[in-house]
Amino acid sequence: MSDEIKYSGYLCTGCGIGDRLDASQIEMIATREGKMSACKSHEMLCSKEGVEMIRNGIDNDGVTHVMIAACSRRAKVEAFNFNDVAMTRANLREGVIWVRPDDDEQQETTQEMADDYIRMACAELRSSKQPAPSGEQTLNKNILVVGGGVTGMTAAIEAAKAGYTVHIVEKSGALGGWASKWYKRIPFKAAAAGTSNSRTADLPQPIETGVDEMIAAVEADGNITVHLNSIVSKTSGAPGRFSADISTESGSTTTENFGSIVQASGFTLFDPSELSAYNYANSADIITNAEMEELAKAADGGPIKRPSDGKEVQSVAFVQNVAQSSDKKGELPYHSGIGDLIAIKQAIYCNDLNPGCSTTIMFDNLRTPGAAGEDFYRAGQQAMITFTKGIVSEVVAGDSPTVKFKDLILDDDAEMACDLVVLDVGMVPNSGPDPYAGIEDLETGKAGGESEVVGDAIEEAAKAAPEVSVDSILNLGYRQGTDLPQLKWGFTDSHFICFPYETRRTGIYAAGPVRRPMDIKQAQDDATGAALKAIQALEHAGSNNAVHPRVGDLSFPTFRKEGCTQCKRCSVECPFGAIDEDDKGFPMYNESRCRRCGTCMGACPVRVISFENYSVETVGQQIKNVEIPAEFDENPRILVLACENDAYPALDQAAISGEEVSPWARVIPVRCLGSVSISWVTDAMSNGYDGVIMMGCQRGEDYQCHFVRGSAMAAERMAKVGDTLEQLGLESERVVVHEVAITDIVRAPALIKEMEETIDKIGPSPFKF
Amino acid sequence: MTEVVATNETILVVGGGISGMTAAIEAAETGKRVVLVEKRAYLGGRVSQFYKYFPKMCFPTCGLEINQRRTKMNPNITVLTMAEVTNLEGEAGNYNATITLSPRYINDNCTGCGDCAKVVEAEFDNEYDYGMSKRKGAYLPHVMAHPMRYVLDPAIIGTEDADKARAACKVDAVDLDMQQEEVKFNCGAVIWATGWQPYDADKIQPYGHDRFDNVLSNVEFERMCDPKGPTGGKIVRPSDGKVAKNIAFIQCAGSRDHNHLYHCSRICCMATLKQTNYVTDALGDDADVTIYYIDIRSIDRFEDFYKKVQDNDNVKFIKSKVASVTRDSGGNPVCNGVDTEGYHRYANAHDMVILATGMEPSVDADKFPVDIVINREGFIEADEKNGGIFAAGVASEALDVNRAVQHATGAALRAIQVINRVATTEA
Amino acid sequence: MNDLNTNMIEKYRNSFLNEVEANVEEGEWVKMCMQCGVCSGSCPLGNAWEHPPQELFMMIRAGKREEVLSSDSMWMCTSCYNCIVRCPREVPITHIMHGLAHYARRLGMEPKEQPTAKFAQLFWDNLMKKGRVNELKLGIDLYFKVGEGMKTALKNKDIGIAMWKAKRMNPMEFFGGHAVKDLNGFQKAIKKAEELEAARLDKHKA
Repeated sequence: MSDEIKYSGYLCTGCGIGDRLDASQIEMIATREGKMSACKSHEMLCSKEGVEMIRNGIDNDGVTHVMIAACSRRAKVEAFNFNDVAMTRANLREGVIWVRPDDDEQQETTQEMADDYIRMACAELRSSKQPAPSGEQTLNKNILVVGGGVTGMTAAIEAAKAGYTVHIVEKSGALGGWASKWYKRIPFKAAAAGTSNSRTADLPQPIETGVDEMIAAVEADGNITVHLNSIVSKTSGAPGRFSADISTESGSTTTENFGSIVQASGFTLFDPSELSAYNYANSADIITNAEMEELAKAADGGPIKRPSDGKEVQSVAFVQNVAQSSDKKGELPYHSGIGDLIAIKQAIYCNDLNPGCSTTIMFDNLRTPGAAGEDFYRAGQQAMITFTKGIVSEVVAGDSPTVKFKDLILDDDAEMACDLVVLDVGMVPNSGPDPYAGIEDLETGKAGGESEVVGDAIEEAAKAAPEVSVDSILNLGYRQGTDLPQLKWGFTDSHFICFPYETRRTGIYAAGPVRRPMDIKQAQDDATGAALKAIQALEHAGSNNAVHPRVGDLSFPTFRKEGCTQCKRCSVECPFGAIDEDDKGFPMYNESRCRRCGTCMGACPVRVISFENYSVETVGQQIKNVEIPAEFDENPRILVLACENDAYPALDQAAISGEEVSPWARVIPVRCLGSVSISWVTDAMSNGYDGVIMMGCQRGEDYQCHFVRGSAMAAERMAKVGDTLEQLGLESERVVVHEVAITDIVRAPALIKEMEETIDKIGPSPFKF
Repeated sequence: MTEVVATNETILVVGGGISGMTAAIEAAETGKRVVLVEKRAYLGGRVSQFYKYFPKMCFPTCGLEINQRRTKMNPNITVLTMAEVTNLEGEAGNYNATITLSPRYINDNCTGCGDCAKVVEAEFDNEYDYGMSKRKGAYLPHVMAHPMRYVLDPAIIGTEDADKARAACKVDAVDLDMQQEEVKFNCGAVIWATGWQPYDADKIQPYGHDRFDNVLSNVEFERMCDPKGPTGGKIVRPSDGKVAKNIAFIQCAGSRDHNHLYHCSRICCMATLKQTNYVTDALGDDADVTIYYIDIRSIDRFEDFYKKVQDNDNVKFIKSKVASVTRDSGGNPVCNGVDTEGYHRYANAHDMVILATGMEPSVDADKFPVDIVINREGFIEADEKNGGIFAAGVASEALDVNRAVQHATGAALRAIQVINRVATTEA
Repeated sequence: MNDLNTNMIEKYRNSFLNEVEANVEEGEWVKMCMQCGVCSGSCPLGNAWEHPPQELFMMIRAGKREEVLSSDSMWMCTSCYNCIVRCPREVPITHIMHGLAHYARRLGMEPKEQPTAKFAQLFWDNLMKKGRVNELKLGIDLYFKVGEGMKTALKNKDIGIAMWKAKRMNPMEFFGGHAVKDLNGFQKAIKKAEELEAARLDKHKA
């Protein structure tokens, strides 16, 4: 294969492009200015023939770089899918003709727009290389599962069933976790088809936990290795080449290599000892829901006896939502979500094991969701449980603990003495230390313009994080802390509704109650999903492929060492903690940890970081190749750097919906606003653009940025641009950053219009020639 | 003719909503071949009709964009739209599927330019807006529809409109002779992700959805609040176009009820809290919202979302299943019932009433092509008897988006386990 | 307090709900109520109820025995069946209301001067005589014996005359009135039923 580079342009004249634009002029610009060896037209480039024409160029004419001038890069993706060449697309349809009125008066500026997009696509192409695997990739089909409870065991069993090997590391001396203490579990099936609604209908009842069978299955599985009384004392590497030290209590350590990791570290039960109103600490007969399970299990099919004196229990009150859904300090702001199902289950135990026992569940909102949940509520009603909507004010200790409550239905203050009171306490996730604890400002995006705050704060936090913490679950040897970042209230969940397995440490997936309070069924479902993602991550690492959301991207960042000043911006600002530092402080890119967002590139003050097909150069050259009209021309130029995930699709949809976009705009999609180099903005300004608009995703608490912090980072950095502009004698209004959602179909073009008006007001850039 | 290349190492995913798309993409990104079959003309399903998601109040199209990109770029996925599974035979590791494709009358040449829609005159109720707006007889189902191809309504075939559409198309994409066709192929495992449909609010007779203009279902209200929806996002009364400020939500409308759906759909409480935010965001202190409920089921981490709405002085919660909705002389819907907390009878007039209807699984138990375990509520239960067929998302249980996606990801692994077993045996 | 009542209190000390389950018609359904209140809201005479059905169910579960049994609420039920139709849990509310009223009456706990209770007794006594209801006599008893009075009777005069003309009511029925075919058999059957019921209640007394 020859290394010769050949650029070739392909112009589609369909969809009105040929009617509205001067194709021969475009061809001329592509070849003369854009330096394409040729620019071939086709009246429908996405047709079989059109695609064959391009294919033929690649296969037979030695074309290595393809410029396609047609519709948006979001359209006809399947047709223009040439993985073996470098490719750029000039958006003449959604970017030009569909957003401009079809009349003679506008013809000139419309053509100018198209010409510029051709120049830009050609310039981008000339700076691009076809991405290729680095050669660093390794395929390792071994998965580390941390935690040997139901979640961990499920992940292991399911991954093993798909043909992968698994190591389970369990801190305690046995597999099974909490569930091995349970008497029975909440049923997960709804009533069978044909079941009537009669009061004697056959409804789901508490069922065996199945934990013993799971343990047996794990132990019998040749693909699963179990390490009991062990912790992960050190994890280093990246997907495909994780190395974990597994240390036993006795002090011995073995090192294993893994392709990916599932963290199933489970939960701790909330301790109600400090809650004075419930007197948990003052009576043996006021117990938690977990202790109730142990009582039921200890009863071994006989009657449940109360702890204080062994009396067979004849009346039980279940006090729901204890110190949950609370805004009091030291209590849980969330809810376990399953507490009412647990109470129903346990009341049914009482009904079964202690005939004649009366059971009352005092709830605020009875949370028994779904088909299985609502049927289990019915089963509880059948079992004669008294459901009382009420607020418990106090549980008084004594021979018979007494619950004082307000009955909300009867609007009555009441009290009830019983043999046993069961407190529904919540689940607290077992997460390690949060790498970003203490820098919440960053997560909420409230850091403001205080220059270095963000980066320094991360750095401080990274420093503050202990090297090996007793609390750490993973002991990652990462630049940015030892464990998975947390979302809220200690849960290591994903922020994304549509992508629940998005973690901020590539190849490491949290599963089970460490993510969100869960019962056995949910934890098993979650573990199965996490196992799939772990499999996927290691397979992708094996082919050097990016994982979500840039799946299939083979490009990865490299840096020019001679130019690097070891400032550590990149390693500190990477949203995924992908970049470590070597002894001398140079960045070490772990490409399989990388999500290819380019935030490092945007962070680098000396512009030494680049991807093969996305770099300071590929965008910078697009900016520079736009033809800037002279000052007296009254044709301003507005550079729009639009996030490819939301803002760019919004502009596309604006085109589809018939919205107009200013003819002065030149839109460049960026991988993430976090990848925007300040140099692009200063280049644009010094080249005579009149304004720059950056469109990124929503930042802050409910951030929409697919790269977590990219958009927030960009806003931080751009807050500083004002000074630079002032030094150049430019008005700060010329550079703006907007949060643009994918639904901003009308607003996104309006924001460009707004800039146009601003320029009208403050006049053209003095940097024009 | 549509051709599908598939073997018993291919996974068939039935349903292209959020669960089906997730299962298909996750399996394909693990290197498996997938055929994704969707009944509608586009992917995305019900969630593409939502304005926002709870609790982040973010836009479903944001995730849809990513999923569509993943789908478009992945050569492992074959997408069949306007397609339904009409037969399935065999066992885990070796199924024969028959898919029936309805004619779209638009072929792959379509560039999404919209020339056909410009010339066609006939208009139809727009199902995307639950009939609250009109669409042309040649239409793009919605602005982000994938595949980005127009559809001709079968009702215009044989009319002048059809000929006009054909004449207007410059790329020969209009094919009026397109016929229904059948495609048969082999697959090793099946993921059943047919999702849900909103429970038919007309069936809840005492609430008058079929009689009163100002009684809407929650899915209709969702479209109304969407700026892309029938009112451009304005919250107005259908009867007179006046801004609706005093809005009531009736929870468990047709849910937890043996007369309608036995189950609790899990999402309706959160959906109402979300929609309450639409109202209070739009109207500020002018908003006057009443939520009639039996139990508010804001599960686990959603508690703070509930709390925020509770703390809003413009929102009232009344523990009551509304007995009936009547209409007063001013055309206002009146909610009648008893506040069960302390027993207070009420007859409250509102500008508009929203029925928080639940999700009915779109699993046809009677016509299911193979023997499968379906529960009383119509959801598919995980069971060994199901062989190589795995439910994903709401086909298995009433789930929110997050849980449905989790579940679908797990379903992808279960299908892959079957495929990998087949591959090992045949290797 | 009557003997049966004392015995029942003793027997079901722990749970009025259990007592209702065992002794009230369809009482086994009370536990299935989920307090949605649709029955109370659907009742056309709802305004007349001090405690609507759903509240009565909660009171039963909360052990408010005295209050429930001496309440006149369940006596308000007119058997329109709206509540049963609407109940999401299919609870036979109408039947339970009558069951509760009946049980209260048997224990001697029904409110004094309760018109529905009185009417029910009139109806029963009337029915027992001939094995069928003599509507003319029932009307006369209602208006003149119970004290609804002449005014009400006159108000309904047109209806009475219309019924007479339409042969729906025969004034001759005033004199004895006709009986069911086998009056003797009917009375025997009732007697047997009364014996069985007495035997059942005796068990509680023991």
